[in-house]
Amino acid sequence: MNKFFNDPNNFVPEMCEGLVMANPDTLKYVPEYNMIYRSDMPSNDKVAIVQGSGSGHEPAHIMAVGKGMLDAACPGNVFAAPPVDFCYECIKRMNGPKGVLYIVNNYQGDKMAWQMAEEMALAEGINVKGIMVDDDVSVKDSTHTIGRRGVAGNFFVIKAVGAASEQGADLDALVKLGNKVNSLVRTMGVALTSCTPPAKGSPIFQISDGEMEMGVGIHGEPGRRRDKMKAADEIIEELFNAVADDLPFQSGDRVALMVNGLGGTPISELYILYRKAAEMAKARGLTIIKNYVNEYCTSLEMAGASLTLLKLDDELEALLNAPAEIPIRVF
Amino acid sequence: MANKNITLVEVEKAVQVIMDTAFENEDYFSELDGLAGDGDFGNSLATGFQVIREQWDTLPRTNINAFLMKVAMLTTSHVGGSSGPIWGTAFMRAAIYSREKDDLNLTDIVNIFDSAIEGIMQRGGAQPGDKTLIDALIPTRNALAQVKSDAPDCWKRALKTASEAATQSIEDTKNLQAKRGRQCFTGERSIGTVDPGIVAVATIMNNMNKAFTQ
Repeated sequence: MNKFFNDPNNFVPEMCEGLVMANPDTLKYVPEYNMIYRSDMPSNDKVAIVQGSGSGHEPAHIMAVGKGMLDAACPGNVFAAPPVDFCYECIKRMNGPKGVLYIVNNYQGDKMAWQMAEEMALAEGINVKGIMVDDDVSVKDSTHTIGRRGVAGNFFVIKAVGAASEQGADLDALVKLGNKVNSLVRTMGVALTSCTPPAKGSPIFQISDGEMEMGVGIHGEPGRRRDKMKAADEIIEELFNAVADDLPFQSGDRVALMVNGLGGTPISELYILYRKAAEMAKARGLTIIKNYVNEYCTSLEMAGASLTLLKLDDELEALLNAPAEIPIRVF
Repeated sequence: MANKNITLVEVEKAVQVIMDTAFENEDYFSELDGLAGDGDFGNSLATGFQVIREQWDTLPRTNINAFLMKVAMLTTSHVGGSSGPIWGTAFMRAAIYSREKDDLNLTDIVNIFDSAIEGIMQRGGAQPGDKTLIDALIPTRNALAQVKSDAPDCWKRALKTASEAATQSIEDTKNLQAKRGRQCFTGERSIGTVDPGIVAVATIMNNMNKAFTQ
């Protein structure tokens, strides 16, 4: 296991410490709850947007904390849901007069923790509501889910509600908006290698050289099938069609297209995938208004990628274009 | 106890009984779980409650709500698998119900059962008849509700009838096929074996009866 860590049990805390040290003016850290939050929160002027799931998917979610995106995140250990007290404290500490919105990807552990925290916070009179993301078209029920999994489409939900919250939208409007984005976003991924959580010390699943897991989940959960490795164009074609046929996306639609790296695939390869995806979008009559080629939701060092399509309207386009400042911006 | 209301003292004792039941039956519960489940139920409960035992002296005791809320948090976070949130939800619903209450009568306890049952169903998605601990909690609740909270010796009578109802639920559910919970992955194999969650509730109710009436 060639990885940068000290004590594997301190993997998440030391990542959080590094993140706040690199962003001393904008981020703060509560070590007891792995909680990273905007230094100008809580606020009287906006609904707080929070999220927490397993670590290992960075930049999701702690590196998506910043103006116009998340106000706080409270991850659990690598690939483990945050304990309920993390979620509860995160809600409580971010609460202001306009309330708190939590975003949860559809995994049983995450959902249970957040829904319990919601009940506890509601009992204290905190105005809190949640939205669920389940954009992965690969499989219906899977290892950690009843229903579809929530994966990279989560980024668009965060971006839209984050921007709307900055503009003063109230909690109910944000719930409606978040559900709308989730209803219009679809994703599917493919893994070329496995990955190794530091505390586990061994790969989460086995895959041989020359094989790929089509439709993989972001914790290495099985997808649609194990297949022989193919040419890039063939692979992205299958991802694109699975995603585009699901909503379905139709000729004339305006879209945002994301090619997301799963952690171990170089950006050069992601652009090779984008090239074919953009061609396919054009052939289908889709207009790509915005594109995203980078890492947004990863599985540690897993080689692989996912493709996400979001159907846009004027409202969503404006929200995607609204300013945001988070640690992973590159310039 | 006669029929006076219960306070934090009895609530603490009740939590103690639940924990001790898990410690004393760790192997037995896991063994039952191994027949048609994944065999870790006893160990999950005991391991999680061990954390509560270690923190027992420092749990908040300002009121019933604060005490139970901490127990709920610890249970949810430290009891493994889905049992943590399921059992944690029961404690949490009890905590929320007890807000601004210094003591509880028997009707309050029935209401807490109602709220806990609803919460557990919501959390885990189980329905009555799915062969989960819900099928022990509902008859237990109904037995408690038969006793009036102003009756003489109401607690003694309620605990006796409730422990009998909980025990009966083991046999009553034995031939059901599990649709949720610990045994649901084994399908028809679950028919004829008792559900460990149901046995756990029955064992707890019997130990409550002993602890509070003898």
